[in-house]
Amino acid sequence: MSRPSPLDPLRSAPTGTLWWRHGKLSLLLLRAPLLAAGILLLALLMASVASLMLGSAGLGPWDAFKAAFGHGEFATVFVVQELRLPRLLAGIATGAAFSLAGCLMQTLAGNRLATPGIIGIDNGATAFAVASVVGMGISLAPPVMALSGAVIATALAFGLSGGIGTRGYRFLVAGIGVGALFGAGTQLMLARVSIDAANSAYPWTVGSLNARDADSLTWLGLALLIGVPIALWLGRGLNTLRFTDRVATGLGQPVSRVRLITLWLSVVLTAAAVAVAGPVGMVALVGPEIARYLSRHKGVPLLASALAGALVMVLADLAGRTLLSPQEIPVGIVMAVVGSPYLLWILLRSPR
Amino acid sequence: MQAEETSPQVRRPRAHAARMTHKVSGRLALRQVMPLACLSALLTCLASLLWGAGDVGPWQALQVLAGQGSDQARFVVLELRAPRTLIGMVVGMMLACGGALMQVVARNPLAEPGLLGVSAGASFAVAVALLLGMEATGMHVMVAQSGALLGCLFVMSTVRMSGARQDPVRLVLAGAALSSLLVALTSLALLIDQRAADEIRFWVIGSLAGRSLEALYSSLPSILLAVLLTLWLARPLSAMVLGEQVASGLGHHPKRVRKVAILVVALLVGAATALAGPVAFVGLAVPYVARALCGADVRRTLWLCLPLGVTMLLSADVVSRLVVPPSELPLGVLTTLMGAPVLIAVVRARRLPTL
Repeated sequence: MSRPSPLDPLRSAPTGTLWWRHGKLSLLLLRAPLLAAGILLLALLMASVASLMLGSAGLGPWDAFKAAFGHGEFATVFVVQELRLPRLLAGIATGAAFSLAGCLMQTLAGNRLATPGIIGIDNGATAFAVASVVGMGISLAPPVMALSGAVIATALAFGLSGGIGTRGYRFLVAGIGVGALFGAGTQLMLARVSIDAANSAYPWTVGSLNARDADSLTWLGLALLIGVPIALWLGRGLNTLRFTDRVATGLGQPVSRVRLITLWLSVVLTAAAVAVAGPVGMVALVGPEIARYLSRHKGVPLLASALAGALVMVLADLAGRTLLSPQEIPVGIVMAVVGSPYLLWILLRSPR
Repeated sequence: MQAEETSPQVRRPRAHAARMTHKVSGRLALRQVMPLACLSALLTCLASLLWGAGDVGPWQALQVLAGQGSDQARFVVLELRAPRTLIGMVVGMMLACGGALMQVVARNPLAEPGLLGVSAGASFAVAVALLLGMEATGMHVMVAQSGALLGCLFVMSTVRMSGARQDPVRLVLAGAALSSLLVALTSLALLIDQRAADEIRFWVIGSLAGRSLEALYSSLPSILLAVLLTLWLARPLSAMVLGEQVASGLGHHPKRVRKVAILVVALLVGAATALAGPVAFVGLAVPYVARALCGADVRRTLWLCLPLGVTMLLSADVVSRLVVPPSELPLGVLTTLMGAPVLIAVVRARRLPTL
């Protein structure tokens, strides 16, 4: 056996990382984000089981778990498979999409307050989704309409504040203005249509997992399937966005291309999630914060953000379903009650 | 900053020079703008009397105003449209002046009661009062004003914290967060209590429809108080624009003035919210236009805010009646559509004007 040279990669792997190699292939993984992802995954699993168990008909954990795979009494299986499981999946998918989009947008703008909800993308998507439901002459699927609304809102918010990139707080307030415009547009449409159409569009105005439709959920699943790998692949480029453009370019990143892909990814994920659950923008603020806290690393915690968002969404929906039991609190309201004080706290605390 | 307005006696011999300076700075004298603003306010009042959702057209309404016309037309114009117009005028003036005062106190051109959660505080207070079993009529005004006061105090305390002071725009973010919290809590309260929800549902969206004059009468004392306090405040506030040290050098008490001004804002916005529900962006757009027309001195701004506020609110109300003839649009939607571009314009301005 030869003595390992100081340059042997096995020995020079930095502390706090996991090193995996096989022949010419090798992979360096940071330990802290992996640990965070593990913790979040476990918590998500527990929350999911709880979400299957609790409701107007309480079940034991094992019964719920079995019923999810089709074993047990017929009624139990029906409740779990037809009612709770789709809702749980919708919660996980929308939470992950919102939170990932939020993390991407925050990284892009270099500002932890710059979530799609705050800069008006949610409202734009909502306005257009509502337009498709109440039938304003255009008949496209809600996800497509939501996407076009989100794109328009993004173009307005960024265009009015002068391009993609760090714009500080001014850009956020331009976004608030754009969001207010689209919110007014939504109300305008709801006021013009019949009460039935307005009721069917109501979930989109507050954010609820109650009235998700299967097609939109499929679209969201597709968006996540494509979006998450792209985001993870972008991760390294996103890390360099914190530096100046010159440094990032010097490190070999095509800065403007990374920005553009990030922006598109964020917009598409937000739009797909809004088409399912309506504007629950606070998830995009809270999810990445939890992920950042847990992974304790300066990088961009993409995977952990997605998991944390899913966890938060599932918990918020669970709370909304069970707290005032016969009544159901829409998840958007739960998230606003939880998230807004947190947003205030961030704003007042950090003298950036 | 516009220079202090010279007194009329001094200005008259030098009227020409004064006009020249106003031209140079692109601003007009109050005397030049005020008649036009009043005219536009009168015209919108007239429009508000003439047009409506019902069968009574402009011509019939004109006949009623001339003292003729059928009983039905008389009823529609005098009993339905006239009180509505009156309430709209008062609400418009209150919101505009509240916005102007708040902007001076916060030293921030974006400080708008609707955006910063003051109106949301008022409607939250009313929702909680209904939840606790109070009756809807009569109590609204006081409750709404105390809620508005709480919202004001919160927002103003954020202004004083280090974070919001550096960048005027941060205040708006904090306000947006506060408002979304209060709106969510309001809808939560409405979810819990169905009776409250039925009583308040028409009210939380902001509209002038179906408001009675009794509500206006019950808020009159507080409005009078607010007017008196504003008259007392005008001079110290315009001194405070020059900085707190200058103001105290001129013999004013900045802290006391600020407290009274916050109280006035709460009185005005609370009463306006109790009358018409939350109506955003009037307090942003109107003072912005007023300042653009005749300079930043708060005394001139306040005077100009009166007719301009009436104009904005009533024109929004008339449009809200005419767009979807049988039903009506929420008033807040139209004021948002008019005011949000102003917000974007202010933010876009390269040098954010600090008051």
